[in-house]
Amino acid sequence: MNSEQPYAVQVDHLTVSYGPVPALLDISFAVEPGQLVGIIGPNGSGKSTLVKALLGFVKPDYGSIRLFGKETEKEKGSVAYVPQRGAVDWDFPVTVRDVARMGRYPKIPWWRDISAEERRIADEALEMVRMSEYANRQIGQLSGGQQQRVFMARALAQDSELLLLDEPFAGVDAATEKAILDVLRKTREAGRTTLVVHHDLATAAEYFDRLVLLKQRLFAYGPPEAILQPELLAEVYEGTLRVFNDLSTRNGSSPADVPGGPDG
Amino acid sequence: MDKADWIEWHVANAGMIKALIAGSLISVSCSVIGCFIVLRRMAFLADAVAHAMLAGVVASYLVLRAVFGFQANSIIILVGALFAGLLTVALIGFVTRVSRVKEDAAIGIMYTGIFALGGFFASIKTFSVYIDVDLVGFVAGSVVATSLADLWTLAIVCTIVFSVVILFYRQLLLTSFDPVMAASIGIPVLAIDYLLTACTSLVVVCGVNIVGVILVVALLITPAATAYLLFDRLNRMLIASAFFGLCGFWGGYFVSMWTGNAPGPSVVVMSTLIFLLTLLLAPRYGMVAEWLRKRNQLPQELVEDIMGYLLKNDGQAAIREVSEQVSFKGFSTRSAVGKLEKEELVILEGESVCLTSEGRRTARKLRRAHRLWETYLQSTGMSADQVHEKAHELEHVHDEDAVDYLDHKLGHPLTDPHGAEIPEDFVHIEAGGEIRLSLLREGDRATVLAVGGLDASTGVKEGSEIQIGPRLSSNLWTATLLASNRTIEIDHQTADTIFVRKH
Repeated sequence: MNSEQPYAVQVDHLTVSYGPVPALLDISFAVEPGQLVGIIGPNGSGKSTLVKALLGFVKPDYGSIRLFGKETEKEKGSVAYVPQRGAVDWDFPVTVRDVARMGRYPKIPWWRDISAEERRIADEALEMVRMSEYANRQIGQLSGGQQQRVFMARALAQDSELLLLDEPFAGVDAATEKAILDVLRKTREAGRTTLVVHHDLATAAEYFDRLVLLKQRLFAYGPPEAILQPELLAEVYEGTLRVFNDLSTRNGSSPADVPGGPDG
Repeated sequence: MDKADWIEWHVANAGMIKALIAGSLISVSCSVIGCFIVLRRMAFLADAVAHAMLAGVVASYLVLRAVFGFQANSIIILVGALFAGLLTVALIGFVTRVSRVKEDAAIGIMYTGIFALGGFFASIKTFSVYIDVDLVGFVAGSVVATSLADLWTLAIVCTIVFSVVILFYRQLLLTSFDPVMAASIGIPVLAIDYLLTACTSLVVVCGVNIVGVILVVALLITPAATAYLLFDRLNRMLIASAFFGLCGFWGGYFVSMWTGNAPGPSVVVMSTLIFLLTLLLAPRYGMVAEWLRKRNQLPQELVEDIMGYLLKNDGQAAIREVSEQVSFKGFSTRSAVGKLEKEELVILEGESVCLTSEGRRTARKLRRAHRLWETYLQSTGMSADQVHEKAHELEHVHDEDAVDYLDHKLGHPLTDPHGAEIPEDFVHIEAGGEIRLSLLREGDRATVLAVGGLDASTGVKEGSEIQIGPRLSSNLWTATLLASNRTIEIDHQTADTIFVRKH
């Protein structure tokens, strides 16, 4: 063991391409354990490729990813992943409780049935996101926010040191947003590391300790106040500059008194 | 019936008993595997595997004859078919990976190709003498001709299939439901896929005995799809699917004995009938249930217009008056009011309609939606005379998430463009409920639960009691700390991060 603690996530010169087009080009950053990190960037900026790479699904053309000092390939099961809502078959015949229990699957040897202890952990995870009363519902019979919380519960039940969430705040109601934030804060208090793919710049500063600003290349990595600079954002989000003008005035003293607001 | 009779009956009907046992084993194992095929949307792939096995069967005859010089038995044929199935799936995967050809096209190419290869060799004279494949039987099925050896083969297949499903239940569930997570926790997704393909090949080989290669997919997916319409849990779906598979087989078999035709088609027709009946009558996902749900539902617009009218009239109006003011094509307002009474939203007293407290709550929720939409439309620059009408259309979009979003985006306005109050004391603000401070109105008292982005110098801590003061602007809230009587100003953005419990 090294004397210094390994980074939770260490990405070195990561380059991934689909055919002739690079999706990610020479990305390097390192996340210390216990950080809550937002991954932001415009559509098609390689956010989902980075997620796939972190899960070990795409083979980098060049470079490497280490999780807690180990190669992603050898660290299967160390990442608890919460998929985008659109990626789930909501008609699948599973209940809320079934999904939460999936979080325990990595811990159960294949020949053994799920134990009472594992069931308890899964139920606790449901309690944590306040979904216990829906435990017997089929997952399609929930509101969008509740569906998101079920998958949060699964990730919690997984008890991993690293959580990876893909757009958890997209299209959720205020109660769910709060429930997710609560959980994220609790996991941070427990010293776990969380990476969140996020699209709403207006809330990025409030939610995260560090931001990764992507568009094929790594444009910036650091604390939100350093990242959310109008010049930097303008460079990354070329076409949508207006939004950031609003954003910068909002951080200043006199926010526009227009209904419809800055995050529109 | 004494013992001798019993034995005699068995001897006389040995063929039928064997056929029934064989058919039961086959349909149960097909139905169980079929559940995974339905859930993974691989029906076409299963069809491909079924066709490919012809090549496997032909190859096992030829290889055994050429290498060992004896006739293949049913176990060897099973192994040959298994290889052909796996090879087909591997080839399909290979073509999809290395080229831009999509999976459905790759399946189409590979299964016809491999099927034709089998047919080609089987029809060449030099080889065909060694091959004991009845091509007609292969295509149409022949459960009547089940031998004892076939039964043993079937017993083995069933044992394998059930062992796999029971032992790898969790892995099969997770790889079907969420392959990304399955892979991320180190489940060998590809190996599980091939395991399922192998099981599919095995049950398909057996299924072809009953119904032939064209119809075998029906044994796999029809009972499974029937069960899928009825059950919301995989384990129940598996059991129900096995049951429907049995029903289809026994029903179809006896119909075929009665009419004297081949059992294959009647088994499939029976399964299909069961499916259609279920599609019609399933309690939750059936067509009748859906139709009843729709019929019993009043048009939302009518309900909302009635409620809105009552609220405007202080919660009470003569029923005749309501009918005059509110109408919806095809529905009588009077019977709509009757349904609302059943839902306890209104009370009918003689000729007068009265909102209940729950009804008032619902009506105010509606008014909130209407006024927020008006405010929003105004802010987009729509002219004032159009705003009301458009908002009246849009207020029926009062999905709570959408309305909350508008409210948040508009900065929780207190009044609409006409200066009328936007109600906000019912959706989130119930005594004891946990809400954002930005939702509170002047005069509300609350306990702070999380200070969020509020500066510590304000003296507000978790547990502080506060009373909300007037808003200084649309963006500036005020609150008084009850302990120190100190008044602080909070901007919108910060107010959104503070969570409180209202008294």
